[in-house]
Amino acid sequence: MKQRMRRMNILAAVLIGQFAIGSLGSAAAEGLPLREERAIKAALARVSPAVVRIETVGGLERVGQLLVGTGPTTGLIVSPDGFIVSSAFNFVQKPDSILVTLEGGSRRAARLVATDHSRMLVLLKVDTDAKLPMPEFVPEGEMRVGQWALAVGRTFEQSQPNLSVGIVSAVGRIWGKAIQTDAKISPNNYGGPLVDIAGRVLGVLVPMSPQANAEMAGVEWYDSGIGFAIPLETVMRVLPKLAQGQDLHPGLLGISLKGADLFGEPALIAAARATGPAYRAGFRAGDTIVEAGGQAVSRQAQLKHQLGRLYSGEKIHVVATRGDQRLDRDVELAEKIEPYEFPFLGILPMRPWAGEKAAGLVVRYVYPDSPAAIAGIKPGDRIASFAGQAVEQVDAVVQKLQTLAPDEKIQIEVRRGDETLLLQATLGRLPESVPGELPPAHALVAPAAADAPPADGEQPQVGIVPLKVPEFENECLVYVPESYSPRLAYGVVIWLHAPGGLKQDELLELWKPLCEQHDLILLAPKSADRTKWQPTEARFVRRMLEDVTKRYTTDPARIVVHGHEGGAALAYLVGLAYADVVRGVAAVDAPLPRLVQLPETDPVNRLAFYTTLATKTETTAAVEAGIQRLREMKYPVTVKNVGEQGRYLTSEELDELVRWFDTLDRL
Amino acid sequence: MIHTSPASRRTRPRRGRAFAALALVVAALGGSLVPQVMAVDSPTQAIEANQPKMVKIYGAGGVRGLESYQSGFLVSEQGHILTAWSYVLDTDYITAVLSDGRKFEAKLLNADPRLELAVLKIEAEDLAFFDLAASVPADSGSRVWAYSNLFGVAAGDEPASVQHGIIAVKTRLDARRGTFETPYHGPVYVLDAMTNNPGAAGGALTNQNGELLGMLGKELRNAQNNIWLNYAIPIDELRGSVQQILEGKFRPTEEQAQVKPQDAFDLAQLGLVLVPDVLELTPPYVEEVRDASAAETAGIRPDDLVVFVGDHLVHSCKGLREELAHIERDGKLRIVLLRGQELVEVEVNGQAQGEATQP
Repeated sequence: MKQRMRRMNILAAVLIGQFAIGSLGSAAAEGLPLREERAIKAALARVSPAVVRIETVGGLERVGQLLVGTGPTTGLIVSPDGFIVSSAFNFVQKPDSILVTLEGGSRRAARLVATDHSRMLVLLKVDTDAKLPMPEFVPEGEMRVGQWALAVGRTFEQSQPNLSVGIVSAVGRIWGKAIQTDAKISPNNYGGPLVDIAGRVLGVLVPMSPQANAEMAGVEWYDSGIGFAIPLETVMRVLPKLAQGQDLHPGLLGISLKGADLFGEPALIAAARATGPAYRAGFRAGDTIVEAGGQAVSRQAQLKHQLGRLYSGEKIHVVATRGDQRLDRDVELAEKIEPYEFPFLGILPMRPWAGEKAAGLVVRYVYPDSPAAIAGIKPGDRIASFAGQAVEQVDAVVQKLQTLAPDEKIQIEVRRGDETLLLQATLGRLPESVPGELPPAHALVAPAAADAPPADGEQPQVGIVPLKVPEFENECLVYVPESYSPRLAYGVVIWLHAPGGLKQDELLELWKPLCEQHDLILLAPKSADRTKWQPTEARFVRRMLEDVTKRYTTDPARIVVHGHEGGAALAYLVGLAYADVVRGVAAVDAPLPRLVQLPETDPVNRLAFYTTLATKTETTAAVEAGIQRLREMKYPVTVKNVGEQGRYLTSEELDELVRWFDTLDRL
Repeated sequence: MIHTSPASRRTRPRRGRAFAALALVVAALGGSLVPQVMAVDSPTQAIEANQPKMVKIYGAGGVRGLESYQSGFLVSEQGHILTAWSYVLDTDYITAVLSDGRKFEAKLLNADPRLELAVLKIEAEDLAFFDLAASVPADSGSRVWAYSNLFGVAAGDEPASVQHGIIAVKTRLDARRGTFETPYHGPVYVLDAMTNNPGAAGGALTNQNGELLGMLGKELRNAQNNIWLNYAIPIDELRGSVQQILEGKFRPTEEQAQVKPQDAFDLAQLGLVLVPDVLELTPPYVEEVRDASAAETAGIRPDDLVVFVGDHLVHSCKGLREELAHIERDGKLRIVLLRGQELVEVEVNGQAQGEATQP
């Protein structure tokens, strides 16, 4: 049939040369539908031997909300010795057994060899002595939008493939991964080939969606005129890896970009995960990616397009700008980005008085069994250098730690009296338990200031300070220790009361001594409606905090939000929404709100959690689920068991909580 | 009274076919030298010729999402209309509107619920019609045109809508029990165009020469993969019943409900014990084979996975029990097992019951 067609074409060409073009034009137009139909049937016959029927036994009935069919699906032979490629959709129910029927009707048991999680394909293998028929494939470069595209499945009849005809609608779709066609693509042909008019394979049919990346994504578009196929050229390229049983995954840079407009905004890095390849290659938040894979990137979509085709383990050349600087690196893409885990040396630093003449970091406390304790660091030691970084202030260690990870080995230079010790430590992870008695955090008597003494000007108000700002109707109570000195940095405890309103006298009785003893400022906003907090009141809380940090000397490492019941729920919201200023969330009797989005752990903005857990309340399961969510994201969570029923803390428990506040500047 | 139309009225489709055949021959000879002759029956001309044969039908419905309209086409010069048997016709007032806008009250002559077809009659003469006697074959890849009043888009003298597609495959709707919820169990053309929409049932399917291939079916979901199926019933399947209705000889046969045989296969009788059925789709693994049972004689072993009973794939323990309950226990039954990665075929004897000893 095909040869005959070719002869006709040649003949037609010859005739056009010999006769007037006009008379032949109508002849060609007339014969076209018939010739097309014959070509379509010939193409189907040509690819048909390579199209197999797949049936599965066992597995799930539903995946998510969707009822999964148990009907036959389709596969395409990709090697004569029995490798068959199909759509991952066809195996989403995780069947126990897979059966493949070849064109002639012979049945084979198949096993699933590997999955391509980027292209949503699976590779199957059947044992065969006979050589299986291989399809021919079309190189991606030869595909043209508008050319015929035939979608082939083998789901209705074993003996006869089913067919849908359309055209190639686009190439390089779904971030460079897929061919788009208007042939009808559905479970009737997922896993089968999309072929050209000569019966050569363009790609393997899969459901896909530009927004989502899952086996079921894109199924809602079945038979809609929008269907996708993965170029067979790509499949053949990765076949050796898949055949060895290696699963393939999309390649990740480990960054998030600023702004949501993919097509309008530049690829400005909003966050680079410390565990991700981009961060390791030297890219940081604030850098703007301007080139990737040799292509200029002026909008985020262009970067996504370059990344979309790549698998984990593959390299991409990335160029970014940082001010006037230009960074130019090869980045090996990762399969998975682990959440950043805060490293821990195991000490508390002394908090110097402002102007105190003291070089280096003096160790206030060493956590038992911590890396510091194992290395031999003792309270009173002065850390002179840390992991190659000279230390004049606490900040030097804080900043160096942000670039390190747990299990890294470091050197520490320590001065002890006249001795200088060179110690080795292996960094650990932040502890979740609270130490017992702690030594004082600073010299009890203010040393003489080296610099000019503080201005005699206005001493900020201490004791009970009511706060009110015009833009909010809420009121707010602040307690500043009577002993307040601007030369010391104070922790801030934001207290969010339980529904029922703020009980001012009780509160002050409880907190006055704690504030005096532990250098804390208490900030107690009142909900506008005394019976409940509104999530929007988080903005008011932040506004009050800004007011306090402006007026008083505060310690950015010890700003915590503490709440009870409904107040604790708001504490979670405030802590997570304002992770740039809040360092601790202490929740009593409330779960982490289920719908709240957990941000990634941030090396710079450390955030720790404290929660009570009652074992027999309606919210027990929710509290436990919240703890688990936080720990999965590698946040440290200190859990206080309060027995069967929910309640507020006893005075001993409150002492312990305040000690937890006191340790938030741990290193 | 049927097929009394003069030969001249039927020549059109025939001539088309003849030309097509001629074209094939000429094309085979490598001749592009036969030009204008063939330009007569292009698909657009075929559509123009067929539009007057289409009928818009209005009847009962209009409530709870049920449309009160459907499609049909003329099958005789005297106003016989073939359409789908549905609730739309369940009224004393059926209206048929021809493509020129003429409106008739239609009478329901008879219906064959088994084939989901009905024949209506309007009082008119000299009408263009599809000749059911002309039988044309089609298969996967054949280009087709579907005529219907889908979604009731056409009204009055507006002609039916025409859609183009191809035949995806010719298959049978009864392939599996419970796969398709329709009384019709027989061959269908599955189409790759979105033809089976509200109001389209009863429409006509033709090839590119305008020759009638089938009647569009109702909306139908494939229970095996949960997607909508577009299909038409081949005219060959409908012709007999339509002819009987036209001749007044039609006797509706009661739909024979698929009943389970009295004496069917079952697991206990075969001596097969499956693994506990705890999942929604527990794969039918053999836990135990009773001594001296039919299963043991056939060579079934513990840990075998039952995959086929006869030609039917079983997906689960439930599916296996259901499948066996539909097979009369009067002979041998072929079962395919998966043993490791090997497919093993065995035959169990349905008569062997008495020999099995109960442990």
